[in-house]
Amino acid sequence: MQLFQISVSVLCFHALVASVAFAEEAQVSFARDVAPIFENHCLRCHKESHAKGELSLQTPHGLRENEYVIPGKPEESHLLELVTSQGNNPPAMPKEGPTLSAKQRQTLRRWIDQGATWPAEVVLQQRSKADASWWSLQPVRSVPVPDSVTFAGNDAVPSDHPIDRFIHAKLAEQKLSPSVRADRRTLIRRLYFDLLGLPPAPETVAGFVADNDPQSYENLVDTLLQSQHFGERWTRHWLDIAHYADTHGFERDKRRDHAWRYRDYVIQSFNADKPYDQFLREQIAGDVMGPHNDEAVVATGFLAAGPWDFVGQVETKSPVLRRASRVLDLDDMVTQVMTATTAMTVNCARCHDHKLDPITQREYYQLTAVFAGLQRGDRDLGKGARHKYESGIAQLESEINEVSLAIGRLEGRGIDLADIVGGGTGFGTGRKGLGLDARTGKTQERPFGDLGNVKPGHYAKVNHAFIDGVFVPANGESQITSTRLKATGLPANSGKAWDMIRNGPVSSQFSTKFGAVDYNTAAHSMIGLHANAGITFDLVAVRRAIVGENTAATEAQSDSATLRFTAVAGYGGKPEEPSAEFHIFLDGALQQHQRIGRNDAVPIQISIPSAAQWLTLVSTDGGNGYGNDQVSFGDPQIRVEAATKHTAVQQQRVAALRRKRVRLVQQLTAAGEPPVFFGVVSETPAAIHVLDRGDPESPGDVVNPGSLAWSATPVEFGSTDTSDARRRTAMANWITSETNPLTTRVIVNRLWHWHFGQGIVSTPSDFGYGGGRPSHPELLEWLATELATQNWSLKHIHRLIVTSETYQQTSIHPATRLDGAASLVEKHEGIPPRKRRTAESDIDVDNRLLWRMNPRRLEAEAVRDSVLAVTDKLNRQMFGPGYRDFNYQEAYAPIYTYKTADSPELWRRSVYRFIVRTTPPQFLTTLDCPDPANLTATRNVTTTPLQSLALFNNEFMLKQAEYFAGRLQAEHPNDIPKQMARAFDLAFARHPTNYELQHAAQLVRQNGLLHLCRALFNANEFVYVD
Amino acid sequence: MSDTLRPDILSRRRALQLAGGGFAAVALDSMLRADESPHYQPKATRIIQIFCPGGMSQVDTFDYKPELKRRAGQSFDPDGKLQFFASKPGNCQPGFWRFRQHGQSGRWISSLFPGLASHVDDMAFIYSMHSKSALHAPGCFMMNTGFTLPGFPSMGSWVTYGLGSEADDLPSFVVLPDPNGLPPGGIINWGAGFLPAVHQATTFNTKSEQQPIADLFPPTTFAHVDRAADRGGLRFIRKLNRRHLAERNGNSDLDARIKSYELAARLQLSAPEVTDLSSERDTTQQMYSIQDQAVGSFGRQCLLARRLIERGVRFVQIYCGAENTQAKKIRPNWDSHEDVVRDHGYWGRVLDAGASALLSDLKQRGLLDETLVMCTTEFGRQPAAQGKRSAGRDHNAGAFTSWVAGGGIRGGVGYGATDELGFKAVDHPTYSYDLHATALYLLGIDHTRLTFYHNGIQRRLTDVHGHVIDEVLA
Repeated sequence: MQLFQISVSVLCFHALVASVAFAEEAQVSFARDVAPIFENHCLRCHKESHAKGELSLQTPHGLRENEYVIPGKPEESHLLELVTSQGNNPPAMPKEGPTLSAKQRQTLRRWIDQGATWPAEVVLQQRSKADASWWSLQPVRSVPVPDSVTFAGNDAVPSDHPIDRFIHAKLAEQKLSPSVRADRRTLIRRLYFDLLGLPPAPETVAGFVADNDPQSYENLVDTLLQSQHFGERWTRHWLDIAHYADTHGFERDKRRDHAWRYRDYVIQSFNADKPYDQFLREQIAGDVMGPHNDEAVVATGFLAAGPWDFVGQVETKSPVLRRASRVLDLDDMVTQVMTATTAMTVNCARCHDHKLDPITQREYYQLTAVFAGLQRGDRDLGKGARHKYESGIAQLESEINEVSLAIGRLEGRGIDLADIVGGGTGFGTGRKGLGLDARTGKTQERPFGDLGNVKPGHYAKVNHAFIDGVFVPANGESQITSTRLKATGLPANSGKAWDMIRNGPVSSQFSTKFGAVDYNTAAHSMIGLHANAGITFDLVAVRRAIVGENTAATEAQSDSATLRFTAVAGYGGKPEEPSAEFHIFLDGALQQHQRIGRNDAVPIQISIPSAAQWLTLVSTDGGNGYGNDQVSFGDPQIRVEAATKHTAVQQQRVAALRRKRVRLVQQLTAAGEPPVFFGVVSETPAAIHVLDRGDPESPGDVVNPGSLAWSATPVEFGSTDTSDARRRTAMANWITSETNPLTTRVIVNRLWHWHFGQGIVSTPSDFGYGGGRPSHPELLEWLATELATQNWSLKHIHRLIVTSETYQQTSIHPATRLDGAASLVEKHEGIPPRKRRTAESDIDVDNRLLWRMNPRRLEAEAVRDSVLAVTDKLNRQMFGPGYRDFNYQEAYAPIYTYKTADSPELWRRSVYRFIVRTTPPQFLTTLDCPDPANLTATRNVTTTPLQSLALFNNEFMLKQAEYFAGRLQAEHPNDIPKQMARAFDLAFARHPTNYELQHAAQLVRQNGLLHLCRALFNANEFVYVD
Repeated sequence: MSDTLRPDILSRRRALQLAGGGFAAVALDSMLRADESPHYQPKATRIIQIFCPGGMSQVDTFDYKPELKRRAGQSFDPDGKLQFFASKPGNCQPGFWRFRQHGQSGRWISSLFPGLASHVDDMAFIYSMHSKSALHAPGCFMMNTGFTLPGFPSMGSWVTYGLGSEADDLPSFVVLPDPNGLPPGGIINWGAGFLPAVHQATTFNTKSEQQPIADLFPPTTFAHVDRAADRGGLRFIRKLNRRHLAERNGNSDLDARIKSYELAARLQLSAPEVTDLSSERDTTQQMYSIQDQAVGSFGRQCLLARRLIERGVRFVQIYCGAENTQAKKIRPNWDSHEDVVRDHGYWGRVLDAGASALLSDLKQRGLLDETLVMCTTEFGRQPAAQGKRSAGRDHNAGAFTSWVAGGGIRGGVGYGATDELGFKAVDHPTYSYDLHATALYLLGIDHTRLTFYHNGIQRRLTDVHGHVIDEVLA
């Protein structure tokens, strides 16, 4: 209020001066009247350091030389024309920002008229609103803790806790008083959600409420700070700032399968209470400061966590587009590092000097130069580790293949031709979806459409033991083997081809169901063979695999055994009218062929005599165009024709082999994930130029790596020759230097924000002029000092905050409680009814002074985790690759289709979610889960009907309600009163009232227990924490 | 006009206070920001935007370039200096369709759009559009949010943030994606960015009769729920919440959340009603060709858009094309690298049928006067041919055409121009900023005053740019 009055009086003063000046038609003052116009509206672009050849308004020379200003002749001065609108067109200048007011134009006109004086030696500088004297840029002060305050009428003894002493001093200044301590049930629920993001178990609540130990609260705090879940909870906060996700984003939103290692690093660091300065140093330069420490190396995943445009960085052939993408890529890294650690909005200085804060455009590019040697990408953990890992995996896989083959052989099982197409041995080791190119014989993964450069009749060898080659059939006669064997009688076709020959359906296949069987399921297999294409299998090799070279265990398995090819040929397109054909050849001799449509499922049974060498499958388009001709072979198998009889010895061998296979598979699982992480790859830094208006096509001076000039510590990090390692090391040291005034202030404020829902500075990622001012400046100083002197221990700060009385206050607005009506719990605990108060809400409705605790709504992730905890379905498995609650389809732009999380591997905590940028899950987004493109310092909390619908009707919620009911029934079979009481205990951490029980009973009676469970999940009390 | 506006805003505010949060939860502060009255007298009250992802070719559609025909087959880039997104330029390639003048205004339109050609006198064309990126996702982001990076609020979100909703039983910002998939860059094309989630778009799935909006009803596969159980559960929730609130009186957030369940119940009635196209007259259904195999699906979206704005929805965005679908025999959007005739031929028919029906229908019903219809793409295509058969065209961020029609628009005019080949915008080059500034202006909003603080900056849809294009205003 006082501030406001001051500014009004200043305004009045200005107005007075102006009117006097007008009245007297006084001489225009350059310093007072003209300079501010240039400084505020023109200098951002028109200055010396900006682009060659352009006009600078820092000095008068340019204006005079080019007749922008002709002293005494305003009509001929080009400047006035530029700032005045011409006809319908807006003024040409200023290009950015508001146009000049009539009064400002008049000032310029009069200045020119009066001779356009520009005092010698005066060089104008663009000014930011804040300069180096800005509060957040001052060294952290050591401040004394105020005395404790005793509040009248408050029965509690004055708190000696340092935080309370700061808070209470402010409250007392405003003649306000703090609220009473919340009841113990509220406290334990608050602490659990705040520190762990999960609800407390009813037994834990009961134990805590009954605990008479005066240290019980502090003990609980210590227990929770040591819980593994603590790191999971607080990592989610940090990932908001790191804008972490598991895909690149942009058009080709590819997966980052190894990004999770960084997420795990954060969890481990928080749980271990890694000193915050070390935590930051590792994330900025861990790979170069501690190259032999895997943990430090993985930490650089931080720098790479944001979105990245594969098309712009890699795919496009246009260098202009690549440069533009790279500029934004570096901007993302710089912005992330500076925003997260120092809450400076340096990115505002990319196109011009910062308008508000003392950050020049040049400094921005110096910061950019720090990261100029970085590219995002997968990176090996430790030298040679990846090679070792991969060769180990390959060895295991090959052994498993051998064993599987041997088992299959002994059991006389068939060999699966689709599996072979997928690169496997025929016993389930191939990759689903893998394809062979009928033009070249090469393996392809991604979907193709219409193929170019098709040469009908050309035969291409395939590098696979069981496949001889592939081809696009020519009309009539076509080569079908590498031995130049030919098939004849092939029908005429269009000579076109579509997609690959696949282990599975081809791209855009309409259906994989032929007859009653869907062959694209786990129990079946299929070859997708879109017209026009053909494939020839090497039967000699297949026979060797099935029968074995030297085995003569039974007659049926001798070399001369007859094999049999079985399959079901079907048509995967939509038209029912038969419109494509398949042909099957043995050594070039036609065995079976048919024209087929949607309703056909043609059984195939072909005997393969021991002398046969080649099996060829061909699809052709039927001569009516190749559209939709998705010919498929379901369960294509070759097996020994005679039934196999197993001897006891054979059975023993099979059993032994099976045991061996189990062992091998266990070893494969135990090998874990490859030692690879998504982070940054270091290279020789490219030169960084100041870019005029941020435009990569207008490069100016080359800059050295460096930091911000207001800083007390050295801000030059070397020259253009300095290595990436040294640049980033210098940066990491600059940020974590004891003299950096921002780093400690920023993190203690972030912690405060996450604990209270509002920071001491209400804009945790902006400590500049545009951000908020601290509500408790002294407290902020004290906390920042405390962090630095306590070895940068974040848990120390957490403990301080949550053990304060301020944190333990009730959140309930005392003013509005009915007179004399204490809550049931307060009655129970003998707390006297409170008097009606309004002062607090009148003076400080936003609770900036913390006269009570802020009630909080659970974040999207915490809602989901709590539901799982209450139903006891929560899978507490920590670490490792994230869960994927979507179906993934490979495509140019991959397709992510969400499914209902209804299996244990999807019931992990939300921090382990595999995060997709382009396709966020609607359920979480609706509950205010932020877009990971943004650095989210404070989450929005909104209330919408779509949220109600999501919680009430989403299948995940309904299934969980069902499991909740199942849990209750299992714990208290058929005892409805106990089930209901338990339901409230689990969901709300309290017993139900009689009123609630009465209505709950009615709901259960009429609609069943599930509906009580569903309702509890939807209650305000479930999603709000007092 | 301003006399009638004020009570409207006041009553909306009152409704908001009653609703507490909801469709209309349009932040009271946003209206305070607008001083409780529009910055200008609005000419339109709602917007239907058609987005054609992939990059629509200007020289094959609206931007007539006779010089290109004269130079057909000549080298486009004799010095060989240019490098497009995916290729080096081929020869000059005239439009694949014949151009003709139409209407009183004599605007040129190619024969790809026979239906739209009959509306030229209601349409204003901006021939000099250009973009900051020739990549699909950044291009789409820019056209939707004003920035080439992800994470910024889309225009629809800004509009609801600024104006709130007129409807009390439907969301104010609805998106109708192509049924075949998402546009380049995905769902965040219509995200709320850093604006509160109340401003995010609601997508209507017109394929599903049961669930036009996600989670509108329990899934039919879940056997244990029925309407009676729903009602019983909701009654119980209300009882719990009221008790809970009584102990915490004064917490308006809790109150808003109680109300949001009531609003949800209203949406359960209104959403199926609005998506039920069978209640439309046969002639209307035919006009939108909703039964047609090829163009019917887009026609349905256009018809639904009209029904939505009739019921007070503020901003409807319709996608004419997708991106991340599996490979198809026709490109899933306008991105015609190898065969313009095939792909623009297909998508042109789709757009022409739906958009021309929409314009006719809105006009017949007198809705066009207050509805701004916008049609745009993320960038244009090259006047040079691409590919061995010279049948395709590469990306061109330098030039494309957008058109606007309806509320406050002067029909039949053309604004700006490209060079003689249609390669670059040369006269009044226009980024998305000016288009957005103009649309906001027509809704009564000064684009420089619609701001939201985020990480150090008062953000705007138009960044630090944007001028209202007076030439297209009535």
